[in-house]
Amino acid sequence: MTETIAFGIGSFVALLSAVYVVRTANLVHAALWLGVTLLATAGLYAMLGASFLAGIQVLLYVGGVMTLMLFAVMITRRHEGLVVPADSTGRTRAAIASVVLFGVLAAAIGATPGLDAPAAAELPAQATTADIGRALVGQHVLAFEVVSFLLLAAVIGAIVIARRRDQEPAAAPVAARATSASEVTP
Amino acid sequence: MTPALTYAAVSVGAPILAAVVLAIVPGLRRRGAPAAFLCILGSVAAFGAAVLMLLDRLGGGAAEVASIPWLKSGGLPIADIGLRADGVSASMLAVVTLVALSVQVFSLGYMKSEEPPAFGRYFTYHALFLFSMNVLVVAPNLLQLFAGWELVGVTSYLLIGFYFKKPSAARAAVKAFWVTKFADMGLLFGLLVLYVATGSFGWNAHLTPGIATAVTLLFFFAVVGKSAQFPLHVWLPDAMEGPTPVSALLHAATMVAAGVYLVVRANPLFEQSETTRTVMLVLGAGTALFAALLALVQTDIKKVLAYSTCSQLGYMVAALGAGSMVGGFFHLTTHAFFKALLFLAAGSAIHAVHSNEIGDMGGLAKKMPLTGGAFIIGALALAGVPGLSGFFSKDLVLESVEGKLGSVPYAALLATAFLTAFYMGRVVFVAFYGKPSAKAAHAHEGDWSMRAPLVVLAALTVVGGAFTGTFTKLHGEEWHVHFGGGPAIAASLGLFGIGAAFVVYGRGPRAEAPAVIAFVDGVARTRIVNRLYEGLFHNVALVVADSLAWVDRYIVDGLINGLGYGVLEAGRRARPIQTGLAPDYVLAVIVGAIGVGLWAVWS
Amino acid sequence: MMLSHCLLLASALFAVGVYGLLTRRQAVAVLLSIELMANAANLCFIAFGHFRGGATGQTFALFSLAITVAEVAIGLALVILLYRSHGDTKVDLARELRQ
Repeated sequence: MTETIAFGIGSFVALLSAVYVVRTANLVHAALWLGVTLLATAGLYAMLGASFLAGIQVLLYVGGVMTLMLFAVMITRRHEGLVVPADSTGRTRAAIASVVLFGVLAAAIGATPGLDAPAAAELPAQATTADIGRALVGQHVLAFEVVSFLLLAAVIGAIVIARRRDQEPAAAPVAARATSASEVTP
Repeated sequence: MTPALTYAAVSVGAPILAAVVLAIVPGLRRRGAPAAFLCILGSVAAFGAAVLMLLDRLGGGAAEVASIPWLKSGGLPIADIGLRADGVSASMLAVVTLVALSVQVFSLGYMKSEEPPAFGRYFTYHALFLFSMNVLVVAPNLLQLFAGWELVGVTSYLLIGFYFKKPSAARAAVKAFWVTKFADMGLLFGLLVLYVATGSFGWNAHLTPGIATAVTLLFFFAVVGKSAQFPLHVWLPDAMEGPTPVSALLHAATMVAAGVYLVVRANPLFEQSETTRTVMLVLGAGTALFAALLALVQTDIKKVLAYSTCSQLGYMVAALGAGSMVGGFFHLTTHAFFKALLFLAAGSAIHAVHSNEIGDMGGLAKKMPLTGGAFIIGALALAGVPGLSGFFSKDLVLESVEGKLGSVPYAALLATAFLTAFYMGRVVFVAFYGKPSAKAAHAHEGDWSMRAPLVVLAALTVVGGAFTGTFTKLHGEEWHVHFGGGPAIAASLGLFGIGAAFVVYGRGPRAEAPAVIAFVDGVARTRIVNRLYEGLFHNVALVVADSLAWVDRYIVDGLINGLGYGVLEAGRRARPIQTGLAPDYVLAVIVGAIGVGLWAVWS
Repeated sequence: MMLSHCLLLASALFAVGVYGLLTRRQAVAVLLSIELMANAANLCFIAFGHFRGGATGQTFALFSLAITVAEVAIGLALVILLYRSHGDTKVDLARELRQ
């Protein structure tokens, strides 16, 4: 019973804050509301037995991604204050599209038989952190390596994309030549 | 390969070898003299082979054929290509190669003033022509004959249009080609009917009367074109634009004779159709008379000879229509010699006075005795004066036509004999006797190359009659000399014609032509047959062609262009979907995702 | 709480994210919406992992998380680039490829 209530509260918070994320006019508020959504989701993870991931979620998403978003907002809106101007193009059609999308997904979920088959009492064993670790270096080692490579590439790429060009004309000519092919001239 | 077949092979192979060498090695051709040398060498070889083949065939023996499969359809052979050595091909080959050789030797002197490249081109064409004609003559079946026929058409176009920079010459060559090509449809369709009826292209088939008439009439249509019978005679006078030796070769002896040769070859087929033979008799006699009348009023010596050829071909066609293959063929042979002689002598005269008009000549017999003598001999033979070859061959023709169709054709041919003698007499008296005109004052004989052929051909014209018996025997008939009624009438008409010509023209050209001649001249000047063709061409052929062109341009092309235009339009209309704005693309992705989801749910 | 409830919640979050993706004109706001969508997907992974057993669900949620983080990094670098070139970060400013 408590479970259901907790789940209900968690879902409600997550959904409400998600709606605020996409509707508030203030960009900083939007980022903060996203943080709330992510925290609520982390709570849901914990309820679903994924405590490790709940922790990671809080660390990475809330602490990392959301912070990064706030940085971006600060950097790009220095002189006008932080109020986002109106952004209401196509609200109606967007609403229709998202409602239809939800409807389709719900229909798909409803049409799948045997989704809720095992009752709550017969839940299979939950994975522990140790299980996750073993999976990472065992069954999914390839994906693990690829993702780490991806992260490296993303970091380098982000640096390259966003660095200031006028500050290092002669300092790193090799680096300049190596990346000139991927530059998009503004 | 028997000797006869080897000779046949040489007669076909030597000219084409010369032509191919000259085509491949442009240096030889452009230097002029080497081309003439090679061409004449090939012709000498061909002539020698032809003579040997004739001697071989005179010894009797059945026809010899050597052929290889040529066309195949679905693995089964349809037709062969090869050589046939028999009396018919041997005699024709001898005539063709002799005349060709004489003409080519004559051209050495006549065409001397041409530039070396043109000189070389001329002789290359001659070699090609001789090859084409020989292919036609030695053909073992009608399909190869048709192939040679078409080749002859092409090479004669090249030769007639030799002075292609002159617009009238170019037009004349095209006209010759068109008219004969139009008529060649008859040969083509005739061959198709023959093949469908008998499954082969041979001429020894037995056909039902209807099919025989159809096939032979279609063949005859091609003959009418190639041998310039009425109403497809219009190309022959215009074809005189070519060099005179070319006229001697093509329009005296060989190309126009190809039509007659076709009938001779396919004689077994023609014998099976009474209808076609009647048509031939009527048309041949009619053309003979018609062309003789037109020859009366020409002032260009070559045009006189052209119409004369037309008329004599009418004789041959009439003889063939009357059923005498030998008569027609023998007349072809003698005509080849004396008409070539006449053309070459005329060429010599033209070369001397630099003009074709008989009014510009005069008194040439004194200035150019050899040419004059040659021309006179030729004219006498053409007129049918007893003793010369023309008399004997004409006699054979008249004998075969006598009595047929109520003797109307016979009367026409007799009248033609009179006219022939008259118009030739006119030319002789105006051009070779009387006072020389200003242009003729400095006339003189050509060099040896222009004299030797005249001598040879004149000799053959004189003694040719002696071979009548041999000739008829070669083709399976007996001939008896008889000086009875028919020959007598013809001979006297000829002499009478010469006399009348002397009376009218003995004192040189007349300022006022006699009434009859003026009337004919008036009719001739209307050019009614030519105008008829022009009218047909402009109002029928061009109209049909224009409407078909319209269909092609607006409907067929329109369809394709419309498709292309439609595609471009569709692209242009569809382009605005690509706005270049990211949010629009995102919407598109979401819509697509919804679509996929719907599909997944409902399938 | 049943699997279907979790999935429905995830779908709802995803739909909200789509709404934000289609509506918002500021690049950072669009990235926030994308985060919502990714978060919803992660929720699905975890839910399946919980109700079906095994470590795969959580492992893949981990991978998804890592990938999302990388994507955010690049996305924000592009936002900074956009700001530098156009002075503002409206999404429809990047229209150089448009005819």
